[in-house]
Amino acid sequence: MFTLPQKDFSAPTTCLGPTCMQDLGSSHGDDLEGECSRKLDQKLPELPGVGDSAMFSPDTSYLSSRGRMIKWFWDSAEEGYRTYHMDEYDENKNPSGIINLGVSENKLCFDLLSWRLSQSDMQRVEPSLLQYADWRGHLFLREEVAKFLSFYCKSPAPLRPENVVVLNGGASLFSALATVLCEAGEAFLIPTPYYGAITQHVCLYGNVRLAYVYLDSEVTGLDTRPFQLTVEKLEMALREAHSEGVKVKGLILINPQNPLGDIYSPEELQEYLVFAKRHKLHVIVDEVYMLSVFEESVGYRSVLSLERLPDPQRTHVMWATSKDFGMSGLRFGTLYTENQDVATAVASLCRYHGLSGLVQYQMAQLLRDRDWINQVYLPENHARLKAAHTYVSEELRALGIPFLSRGAGFFIWVDLRKYLPKGTFEEEMLLWRRFLDNKVLLSFGKAFECKEPGWFRFVFSDQAHRLCLGMQRVRQVLAGKSQVAEDPAPSQSQEPSDQRR
Amino acid sequence: MSHWSDTLPVPSGQRRDQVPRGHSIYPQLLEITLHLRQAMREHFVQLTSRQGLSLEERRHTQAIREKEALLSCLICRMINLLQSEATSDLELQVPLPSEDSRGDVRYGQRAQLSGQPDPVPQLSDCEAAFVSRDLSNRGIDISVFYQSSFQDYNAYQKDKYHKDKNTLGFINLGTSENKLCMDLMTERLQERDMNCIEDALLQYPDWRGQPFLREEVARFLTYYCRASTQLDPENVVVLNGCCSVFSALAMVLCDPGEAFLVPAPFYGGFAFSSRLYAKVELIPVYLESEVTVTNTQPFQLTVDKLEEALLEARFEGKKVRGLVLINPQNPVGDIYSPDSLMKYLEFAKRYNLHVIIDEIYMLSVFDESVTFHSVLSMKSLPDRNRTHVIWGTSKDFGISGFRFGALYTHNKEVVSAVSAFGYLHSISGIAQHKLCQLLQNTEWIDKVYLPTNCYRLQEAHKYITAKLKALEIPFHNSSSGLYVWINLKKYLDPCTFEEERLLYCRFLDNKLLLSRGKAYMCKEPGWFCLIFADELPRLKLAMRRFCDVLQEQKEALIVKQLEDAMRE
Repeated sequence: MFTLPQKDFSAPTTCLGPTCMQDLGSSHGDDLEGECSRKLDQKLPELPGVGDSAMFSPDTSYLSSRGRMIKWFWDSAEEGYRTYHMDEYDENKNPSGIINLGVSENKLCFDLLSWRLSQSDMQRVEPSLLQYADWRGHLFLREEVAKFLSFYCKSPAPLRPENVVVLNGGASLFSALATVLCEAGEAFLIPTPYYGAITQHVCLYGNVRLAYVYLDSEVTGLDTRPFQLTVEKLEMALREAHSEGVKVKGLILINPQNPLGDIYSPEELQEYLVFAKRHKLHVIVDEVYMLSVFEESVGYRSVLSLERLPDPQRTHVMWATSKDFGMSGLRFGTLYTENQDVATAVASLCRYHGLSGLVQYQMAQLLRDRDWINQVYLPENHARLKAAHTYVSEELRALGIPFLSRGAGFFIWVDLRKYLPKGTFEEEMLLWRRFLDNKVLLSFGKAFECKEPGWFRFVFSDQAHRLCLGMQRVRQVLAGKSQVAEDPAPSQSQEPSDQRR
Repeated sequence: MSHWSDTLPVPSGQRRDQVPRGHSIYPQLLEITLHLRQAMREHFVQLTSRQGLSLEERRHTQAIREKEALLSCLICRMINLLQSEATSDLELQVPLPSEDSRGDVRYGQRAQLSGQPDPVPQLSDCEAAFVSRDLSNRGIDISVFYQSSFQDYNAYQKDKYHKDKNTLGFINLGTSENKLCMDLMTERLQERDMNCIEDALLQYPDWRGQPFLREEVARFLTYYCRASTQLDPENVVVLNGCCSVFSALAMVLCDPGEAFLVPAPFYGGFAFSSRLYAKVELIPVYLESEVTVTNTQPFQLTVDKLEEALLEARFEGKKVRGLVLINPQNPVGDIYSPDSLMKYLEFAKRYNLHVIIDEIYMLSVFDESVTFHSVLSMKSLPDRNRTHVIWGTSKDFGISGFRFGALYTHNKEVVSAVSAFGYLHSISGIAQHKLCQLLQNTEWIDKVYLPTNCYRLQEAHKYITAKLKALEIPFHNSSSGLYVWINLKKYLDPCTFEEERLLYCRFLDNKLLLSRGKAYMCKEPGWFCLIFADELPRLKLAMRRFCDVLQEQKEALIVKQLEDAMRE
């Protein structure tokens, strides 16, 4: 097995605080009654239409049983986000509103993007853009995407437009891939902690489950870093799924990783792909943060840059503009796969996941503008990300809080376990609520299916003034927390689980 | 089905060093076969797409198509076999049980799947075999279903008629699009107010749709549907198209295998939408063209027919959850009167059925003597918690490429549940802004757009019906929509769906894309749908091709009758 050279681990970008190593005594309780995402998992295998739908408001007479499940999904998962939306921070209008460090959005470059999107080349309207078109996406856009990915993923050979399918965002792509690759009830392997919204994306239409490959923070055996994914762990999780009678059809890899902010080395990636090939698993590689690697020393490599893919017909790559171009509201995502059957099957669903022709045109213009991207946008974006990252990591260091982050993505994976006396998920939730009560929204580890209670994801890609205020509020909670750790939490109606990127 | 991923994984330590070179001929063979398939497809496309063929040659073409299907089938079986061998030929060997039979297993399963009731042409097993083993069964189903439904549409997309560049290209009178007001829309969408980039538009939206857009939709519908009270933005969910709204509704109102009633003929896209994701069956309530004592108008929907269809479905053990109504109707082009609408709604209430009403053509009523009544204009709905209205901009504003559809329902539960699909059917913030601006400008809509659109629809309708009259082709005299529902029975001998398909192919061979009755689940063979909302020069050329085909068809019928007579 390949092991990472030691220097990678001790590189300055691997911000692993000293306490982290000492505090690693695993103390994950399983007493999670009433915790929302856990209940969710128990329900998934049964859906749809199984009798026991008591938890999905049984008195309702209007929805089907799967409809009730879907509604429950929506009601519970949206609660934290809704609380935020009802009381959003605004410098002038609502200075005591909630600061959002929970949703992974890049709010650092709106100035650059609005400028670019307001240029005259963006305003073209022509009949063909207003009419039904190729459901895979307009050819001009697919050509641009192929060129763009060839360049930025450094593919050994030019990528081909016919392997590209364009949809309205990564969520739709997960949904479509789950539907065409799996039967209902089948599963994808996914290393945890992971971006939790995928659960909903693959489940809503596809009724596909996720089989977790649990990673932990303790560095044991041949591991060289916390939460390291290895082929052994993949093998084990696969065996376990089989033994439970769950049929696994594929593996989902997020690279750069969300929420760890970590990346897989080309060698590791190769090993995972070979593992998948051995078991004839599809691999969905989500590279939605590929251009948000702000530490160049990290040496990120796209899966499309590999000289030879072990199983090209079963390797499917996702990319979108929501993260790398900070436009989560634009709804543009793309699939790259050499498998024409998969491309065609996904395209067959694109009628339901289509993107406005005018927006397709704008995206093509944006992706084509290599000069602006290379000379203006990316350097500026990376500089701003780095500055924001430096600020938050300095703050955390000053507080003596251990964290993980290697220079990719918009977030820092923060270890607040020392603030949980019993080390339970209940306490994690209480701490999360305490943050929210103090008007700062974070994401807690359980939402990422992290095995160990006490991890939080801090999103740092926000304007300095909001970031400062947010961190100030975090400090207040943590300072208070150490004194009132045993206090009963105020009862709250909010359910957490903000499952957004 | 396939057993391959059930095999227990072999620990990574137990690699087999190298596979002898001689074993890896399968990947190469596979590659060659894939090339062969491609070459064959291209060859057949060339063979069958020649222009100006005589009748004899057309029959020949049909024979070629059949041969192609057979060859495709055989090659696909080869590919399936090779694929299984090629993929098992890894450097990491895992025992694979019953390898050889796999292709056939899949093959057999597909055959079962395609045996389901199907509004579109039945898929042959050969077509099914075109899809690889990498997909799930439902993935195959989706893919094949799509390809069979949109094959000809895709051919059109690749070879569109253009007055200078491609005079021999396809003309499409089969897809319901309004191309008459492209000039107005293009101009409107280029105006300054359309281009606004705010931070909020680039961030994660409210998944039900941006509040500003939902407010505008509520206001718009209140005005154009003549709602008795102000409609509430909280009852609006905005998604990327009406088929997305329908799909989401089918998901939350039905469990898999449950059903909706739909008067037939009806817009085939619904069959597609309910099947792809939701696995909801559409049970046709067959309407007839013949006027009788009970059927006072052609294709009349009555409560008796609804009741009969419902009871029959229940008798067969089907669980019917709702009724789908399209008003103005597609493809018949009629409008339901407020009285009959009320009767259908009361029927639905009596049986606790949801009613989904698609009013996507509500502003495309071109006959000024007719008034459209939206269900939202009713003073009181019999069962407002089970009445769900769909509208979108695709038809009324002729911008199908914009991807916008809206749901209006009083039922908060349905609003919540459908909102969960906002993730998967979201609209770009930039497009939401443009839509809001478009809907807001009532003055332009009332004074410029709607009168012009109405006039142009009238003119196009007048042209096409005059042509049909001259050709003595019966058609349903409609007042709304973008289409005429025409009867070509007299060109079919015998009058079967197979003959209907052949006639459809004949149009296609003449580069004219039409929709045939079967795609609308019409009970009687011989009906076609002609979309007339196209510019006059294209329409003229299309009608010339149309006449040519019918002339040929007539001659062919005479020859056939003569031959039959000779034989006797």
